[in-house]
Parts: sequence; structure tokens; C-alpha cells
Amino acid sequence: MMDSLDAVVTQVQALSGSADDCVHLAGLLKQSEQVLQVHAPRVGYALQALDPAKHSLGYLYLLEANSAGTLSREQAGSFLVAATNFLTVCSADQIRLTVDKFNILCRRMKDHAMQMMEPSSAILPLYAAIRKLQPSSEYLTPLHADYLLLCLLSKCYKAGLKILEDDIFEIDQKRTGLVPRDFLLHCYYGGMIYIGLKRFGKALEFFQHAITAPATVLNAITIAAYKKFVLVCLIQNGQVPPFPKYTPSVVQRNLKSCAQDYFDLANLYNSRNITDVKRCVHAHEDVFKSDTNMGLANQVIASLYKRNIQRLTQTYLTLSLQDIADTVQLEGPKEAELHILQMIQDGEIFATINQRDGMVSFQEDPEQYNTRKMANKLDSEIQNIIRLAKKLTSVDEQVLCDQNYLSKIGKDRPRYDPDDFELVPQKMYTNL
Amino acid sequence: MAAAVNGSVGGITAPGLSLVFEAIKSQRYTDLADLLDNLELEKAASGTGIPPDWPYAIHLLAHVIVDDLNSARFVWKRIPAPAKQNNPELAAAWNIVKCLWTHQHAAVHEALRSYSWSPEVQQVVSAIAEDYSRKVLKLLYTAYSTISVADAAGFLGMTEQEVINYTIEHGWTLDPVAKMLTVRPTVTTVEQKTDASQLQSLTEYVFHLEH
Repeated sequence: MMDSLDAVVTQVQALSGSADDCVHLAGLLKQSEQVLQVHAPRVGYALQALDPAKHSLGYLYLLEANSAGTLSREQAGSFLVAATNFLTVCSADQIRLTVDKFNILCRRMKDHAMQMMEPSSAILPLYAAIRKLQPSSEYLTPLHADYLLLCLLSKCYKAGLKILEDDIFEIDQKRTGLVPRDFLLHCYYGGMIYIGLKRFGKALEFFQHAITAPATVLNAITIAAYKKFVLVCLIQNGQVPPFPKYTPSVVQRNLKSCAQDYFDLANLYNSRNITDVKRCVHAHEDVFKSDTNMGLANQVIASLYKRNIQRLTQTYLTLSLQDIADTVQLEGPKEAELHILQMIQDGEIFATINQRDGMVSFQEDPEQYNTRKMANKLDSEIQNIIRLAKKLTSVDEQVLCDQNYLSKIGKDRPRYDPDDFELVPQKMYTNL
Repeated sequence: MAAAVNGSVGGITAPGLSLVFEAIKSQRYTDLADLLDNLELEKAASGTGIPPDWPYAIHLLAHVIVDDLNSARFVWKRIPAPAKQNNPELAAAWNIVKCLWTHQHAAVHEALRSYSWSPEVQQVVSAIAEDYSRKVLKLLYTAYSTISVADAAGFLGMTEQEVINYTIEHGWTLDPVAKMLTVRPTVTTVEQKTDASQLQSLTEYVFHLEH
């Protein structure tokens, strides 16, 4: 009689051709999981009989069974090699038949890469995996968060942009195996990548998604995201906005008490007094440190100097460097000059420094919006908005046709609107 | 034959890195950052890890040349400690990044000049130096109406006499008593022409708004 493990291998070899065969095979493999578990030690040999590109579905099941449980360092190493190869060459059509297995394998790969202190080794394989799992680049997958975590741990922040720059429109639990936690972590890690790259506006967007995600209970990811959100808001805008209307009420009610230290800082920041803000950061140092937000807190202080200088430009036309240093509480005219120079370079203010008289004259933004370059920029912005508007219209139409939506709306409205019956002109019938 | 295969150990042997040196040779410096970042991840995924002869200094400076100090900072954080200690050229390159990060203009020029770079790195460093001087000059034009000779010399990495000659050539004037330079504002000409394609897209926008 044929060995049951061999039988599985034979099935895989025979049924990896057409799409129908693969669907059939997916069913068979699901039933054979027990067999694979029993024969786990021998699965490694069976794997050699399979081609990861051709027999992707079977290879996935066997590799997953082979790497279950605790692995020795050596085993983990060879698992990483096998998984890297598999994720790079496997067939997207086949692995999408068993999304959950695929996600388990990828997550295991991430875990082992982290345990072996080599997070960067799994970045490219997981990138390949994301692209294979996604029906299109508009889909979020559970692997997104794992990928971003690896980028953060290995300090390859720029690699994170490769997936962060795709706009996400689709959350599809069935096709990607996504759970709410995956979404929240994606927002949190994505925000952290953007902080690292000092693109604070984008970071705010991501944190806000985490805070406003539908929720019935408060969770740790949302709290952590909110703490960073407060600090980044201060750096970027100088104030913390109220919660958007669509924020879940449980979040609105409880979040503030979880981030009291951060609120204290935000309130003091409003006073624009650098000494107070510094003292406050110092007083809450322990909390900021244990939340690993100390770096951000220091950037909040630095941002206040800039913000105060910016405010001066709204009041004065010319001001001496000494006066600026006094008002903004910088050490002296030289330091004020360096700050202003930096802000001019970054395009944050428009001014000229007159060293002879020690004066600064503030100017208006010289941009006249009449250059070709600016026209092109406006052009591409408008194009983006048009694309987004079209997307919105199509989502709106989808919702209007949604069964759940209609049944909910139906309760508020009479089931039959008299107008509905007069859509077809009577005349048409009389003519027949 | 075997000797020939093994004999190339002294040069750059890691596959893929040859692309990096080709890019330097053909002065495509802006391609270097992505090239090296990708190669680094490929090496990591291959399981062999980063080869010991990895051109860390070039990797660091490749990000400087595309004005991405943040990423340069992260490259530095990724470099293993032993490589940092035993590589004076890398330390010198990191010094450039540090000076740029803290906006010490005079120190940047000093850092660029003060090390005798290996030939490939020298090419990248020269490109950075040229680019940096151009940018600083542009900044001086917009940010200052008058500036002391000493400060201008620091900004541009020149001696005081050099900077006087250089700026007077550009139409600036010198007050020899106060040692002050008066900046001659630049008149930048901008392209303002519109063409038919822009009218076409405007038509499309209006169409979009009305529907």
C-alpha cells in the first residue's frame, strides 16, 4: 500500500496544472493536514520532490507543516532559505487559493527572521509575497504590517515606502485574510516610518486612520498611535485638532485619560512659551521615554522655536536679530541668524538678513503661480483629485447597491415609494 | 585557470557591485542610492549577508548626493559596529553627514576636503562638493542682503581673498572698511509660456466639474 505522505505528493504533482485541478487540490490538501502533521519529520524529504514554482499550492502546505513548532537555529536558517525561494518564485494564482496558509507561512518567516536578529533578510521575500497576495495594489493585506515592522527593525525606512506609497482602497477579509489588528498595525507602523523620514503630514494621516477605525473597545495600538499623533500634530501644525466626527465614541471618551501627559504638553504648547514647554517635557520624561517618544518630544521643542519665528513674520516687516533672539528665547543674535537661515533654506519663511545692521526683513511669498513648473504641479494635483473623485463616486454607487445598506435604509423609508411605479410611461403599454 | 578565478579577490568581487562602480564611472551619481539599497536587501535575502568589502562610504554618500540625509542617517545605523571602527574613510564620510545635519556650513567644506579619499569615493565627494557650493551660493543670494566677508568665506569654503574675488565677479560690492559684502539680487527668468495641451487639460477639468 502506498504511504500516505507519498500519496499527498503524488496528488500535488498530478493536480497542479489547470485552475480547476488546483481548486480540487486545495480541497484535498485541507483534508490531508493531519497526514502532514503526523509525518512532519519526513516532510522535508517530500519537499524535494516538488517544484515551488509549479507545485506552489502543495509546496506551501508541506513547507508550512515542515516548519511548525519550535525550530533549532539551524532549522530556522534553512527554513528562511526555503521560504525566501518559495515566496520569490511561487505562483500567485495558486497561493491565493489558500490565503490563510500563506499568511501563516509569511508570518512565521517574519518571526524567525526577527528571532535570528536578521530582520532585513525577510524584507524582499515579504515584498514579493505582498504583491502575489494582492489582487491589485489597492488591497491591504495582513503582510503589510509585518513588512513595515521588518523595515523599522532593520532601519530600512525607505524600503517601507515601496508599499506605503500605494493608496489603499480595498479591505477584503475573504481575499486577503485581513483582521482589524492587521489594519491598525499597518497604520501604526506606517506612521512610524513616515516619522523616521520626517514626512510628518503623511504620518498624521496614518495615525488618524488608526484612531478613527471603527471599534467597540479601546485597544493598545490605538492608544500608542494617539500618543504619537499628539506629538506629531504639535510638530507639524502647532495644535491638536478635535476628534473627527466619525471617531468611535469609545475612543473619544477614553483616549484622553490614557494620554494625559501628552495632553499636558499640548496645552502648554498653546502658550508658545519655550521655557514652560521644556519644563513640561522634562517633567514627563519618564513617560515619554518608556513610550519611546522622547525623540519626538524633543522635536516638539525644536518646532516651537520655528513656530515662534514664523509668528514674528506675521507682525513685523523688519526686526533686529537681537530682538528675535530675545522674543523667541534663543541664546543670541548668531543663533537667531542660523535659525532664520535654516528656515529660509527650507522655504518656511521668506526673509533677507542684513548682517551690516543686524536686521532681518520679512517678505511675502514670492511665488506668483505663473511659472510652467507651478502650472504642472497644479495640473498633477488636479489630476489626482479627479481620480479620487471618480473613485469616490464608484464606491458610493457600490454602497447604494449594497444589500445591508438598502435593508437598513429601507427601515427608515416607506418600502414602496409611489414614484417608483410611475417610472414607466403608461403610453408604452397602450401602444403595444 | 583556477588561479585567475581566485586571483580577483583583491578587487571588488561581489556580483552586482560592479553595477555600482559602473554608475560612478559614468557619473550617474543619483542612481547610486537606490542601486545600493536594493543590492543590500538582495544580499540580506540571499542568506550570505553583507560582504565585508561592502562600499559603506559610497553607500552613505549616495544618499547625501540626492539630498536624503535621513536615509544616510539610517544607512549609518545599519552598519555593523566592527565595520564602523575599522574604516577611517567611512568615519570621514559620516563626518560630512553630521556637519550637513547640523548645518555647520564651514565644517562641511572642511570635512569634504580633509580626507584623502580612494578614487571612487573621491568622485562622489567631488560631485557632492560641487553641488553643495552651488546650493549655498543660491542660499546666500536669497537669504542675505549684506554679509561679512568672513561668514561668506565660511559658507563657500574659500579664503577671504578668494571669496572677495569670486563674489565681485558675480557683481557683489565690497565695503573694505567694514569687510561687508553687499549681495546683488539675482533676476531669475522664468518660463511662462502656455501651450495647447494646457488649454486642453483645462477644458477637461471644467468638463469634470460640470458632470
